[in-house]
Amino acid sequence: MTFVRLDRPEEEVADASVAPPGRPKGRLRRRPLGGPRWVGWAFVLPGLIGLAVFIVIPQVASLILGFSDSTLLGGTQFTGGENFARLLRDPQFINSVIVTSIFVLVYVPANIAISMAMAMWLKTRIAGRNWIRVIFLIPALSPMVANAAVFRLLFQQDGVVNQALAAIGLEPIPWLSDGNWALAVVIGVSVWQSFGYNMIVLGAGLDSISPDVIAASRIDGAGPIRRFVSITLPLVSPALFFTTVLTVIGAWQTFAQAYVITGGGPGNSTMTIMLYLYQTAFTNNQLGYASAIATVLFVIIAIFTLFQLWGQRKWVHYD
Amino acid sequence: MKAQWKFTRSRKRAGVSVVVVGVLALGLAACSGGGSESSGLDGDTLKMYTWIGGKADKKQWADYVAGGVHADPDMKVSFTGPPIGDYYTKLPTVMRSSSAPCLVTFQNGRVNQYVEGLEPLDDLAKENNLDLTAYSSAMLEQLSVDGKLYSIPFNTGPTVVLYNKQMFKDAGVAEPTNDWTTDEFIAAAKATTKDGVYGFAIPQASNPIATLMAADGHPWADEDGPLLDDPNFKDALQLLVDLSNKYKVAKPLEAAAGGTFPDIDAFNTGQAAMEMQGLWDLQHAQESLGKDNVGIAVIPSKNGASKGFIGGSGFGITKTCGDKQKAFEAIEAMTSKSGLEFVTKSQASVPARLDALDAWSENAGSPEFATVIEQMTGDATPSPVPANQAELDTLLTQYEVDAFSGKSTVDEVLQQVKAGLAQ
Repeated sequence: MTFVRLDRPEEEVADASVAPPGRPKGRLRRRPLGGPRWVGWAFVLPGLIGLAVFIVIPQVASLILGFSDSTLLGGTQFTGGENFARLLRDPQFINSVIVTSIFVLVYVPANIAISMAMAMWLKTRIAGRNWIRVIFLIPALSPMVANAAVFRLLFQQDGVVNQALAAIGLEPIPWLSDGNWALAVVIGVSVWQSFGYNMIVLGAGLDSISPDVIAASRIDGAGPIRRFVSITLPLVSPALFFTTVLTVIGAWQTFAQAYVITGGGPGNSTMTIMLYLYQTAFTNNQLGYASAIATVLFVIIAIFTLFQLWGQRKWVHYD
Repeated sequence: MKAQWKFTRSRKRAGVSVVVVGVLALGLAACSGGGSESSGLDGDTLKMYTWIGGKADKKQWADYVAGGVHADPDMKVSFTGPPIGDYYTKLPTVMRSSSAPCLVTFQNGRVNQYVEGLEPLDDLAKENNLDLTAYSSAMLEQLSVDGKLYSIPFNTGPTVVLYNKQMFKDAGVAEPTNDWTTDEFIAAAKATTKDGVYGFAIPQASNPIATLMAADGHPWADEDGPLLDDPNFKDALQLLVDLSNKYKVAKPLEAAAGGTFPDIDAFNTGQAAMEMQGLWDLQHAQESLGKDNVGIAVIPSKNGASKGFIGGSGFGITKTCGDKQKAFEAIEAMTSKSGLEFVTKSQASVPARLDALDAWSENAGSPEFATVIEQMTGDATPSPVPANQAELDTLLTQYEVDAFSGKSTVDEVLQQVKAGLAQ
């Protein structure tokens, strides 16, 4: 049997004399609607249109709008790099970058550590482990807005959490009145919501490790810590890399938790970049400036992602 | 053959490009908003975008449409929309979309930020011989920008104190009079604060400040924006903070998403004896606490001669509306005397037409309610709506929490808000 690469030009295919015997050479060129190349485009086109309409065009439009003073209902005047220069002297934006950076620095390690710990725990032969996995996954499957609204009620001044603290003789904590506590609540709710998904991915990575490798390391005398550092971590590193990249991207784009639980307050202690972008566009009616913020956020995320892709060579093992 | 292949390939590329560009152009055209004769209509039914937070809101709009049909049997209006908390953020994108409605609504005179997408109504009013003097002049002024009218009011919502009569009775406190002072208000709040229930529920953002200032005859804003440097502005915010921190008669404000109303929730669930809200909440409160259990009083003032703070609602027409005349006729019908009188049979909101007030007193209110409304609407402090009110409310909601927690003084909060607005 002869295999023919469908992506080769028709002439080459024809010249390769792979056409069925007795068929004139010219027939291949006259195949209806252009032959294999057209078929390829037909398969790709729906996805390509979706990519263009929902990702490429909005990204390009956002980039262009970032150089204008466009409003939601009004016209558009191009203002050059004014919006980007303004970002550098906008204390609210700088604050939102700091708040989001703190969020990323605390949320990502906490999320990955808890996900990994839970995945390791569930790898042991405990009864009902599959049910426990499902239970921990439920927060990730339920809408963040609904979760955040419930947590808002739990953490308000006379909410269940403070009532529980009072029941054991502790002073109430100003969860939503103090900036530091409010940020802690937003981070905590975010971790609670999302660790289940990472736990499943890391669990799948752990399950793919051959028991023979673990057994061999035990025979070689490796203790639990040594096994974790030298065997488990390297072998689960592709899954760890995948979850870390997605978690970092998600962390920079945090919006719903802060929007629903604190509205960015008290003061601007929980004002993430995405929330500031939203307020700038839809409350302050400054679409051009908001687009500039979106572009900067895109660049920040791109830099972090590229850095992680570059860094994976040093610690991710695909063998 | 090679040349022919290249030519064929470039033709194919061009063909694919044309298809892609065509599809994208169609998509963009669909998103860019239309201006055809059918824009904003569904057949011969006008589409209206408004706030709908639940059954009560849905019933309210159904009643206004029914009132319009009562006045003009040919009128056809359908309505849709999100809860009030999301309404103003979604409105601009909806007004720009291909499915933009013909009719939109505005609360508290908030047309300023949306005039670029609205049709001025002065000419239509003239062509249709609509007598604008029949409407509350304060409301018409609020709904105008640079001398152009963008919305016809259907209700006029003076902010009042709503109080729980049973809680006042249980605390042995006399019900408020229409000349009560701030000190008497604080005393009533102190008396009704007990058993985990607060005497008063503090609203967020600028409305309570504007209301307290108006009660003493001080405007809270001018055409340039809120008067953050006015000592009366500071005094009003300080009073709200003191109600919580000094007098302990109200729950301190906490960080919250904009567009939420913890004060209304607290009052309507019996967690507070008083709230300060527009009359639009009267019906919700009556449904929650019992019709005869909710009283209304004027806003307390320093000298007992309280003036009103008006913030009613109106209908506007989008610029993209395909049949503006039809849309205006619908507004005319829904805000007509007979239309609004019809609405008073089932809704407690006060009609914006002065000639429909008698029907309101008879159907929805009571003589004591009418007295309060007359005082609040008859002697109102002008209450302009600055273009940056949405920004102000967002910033105040964020920063005033620090004054309640003691982290910042009221002065510092106002400076932070001012700096935020300057950005």
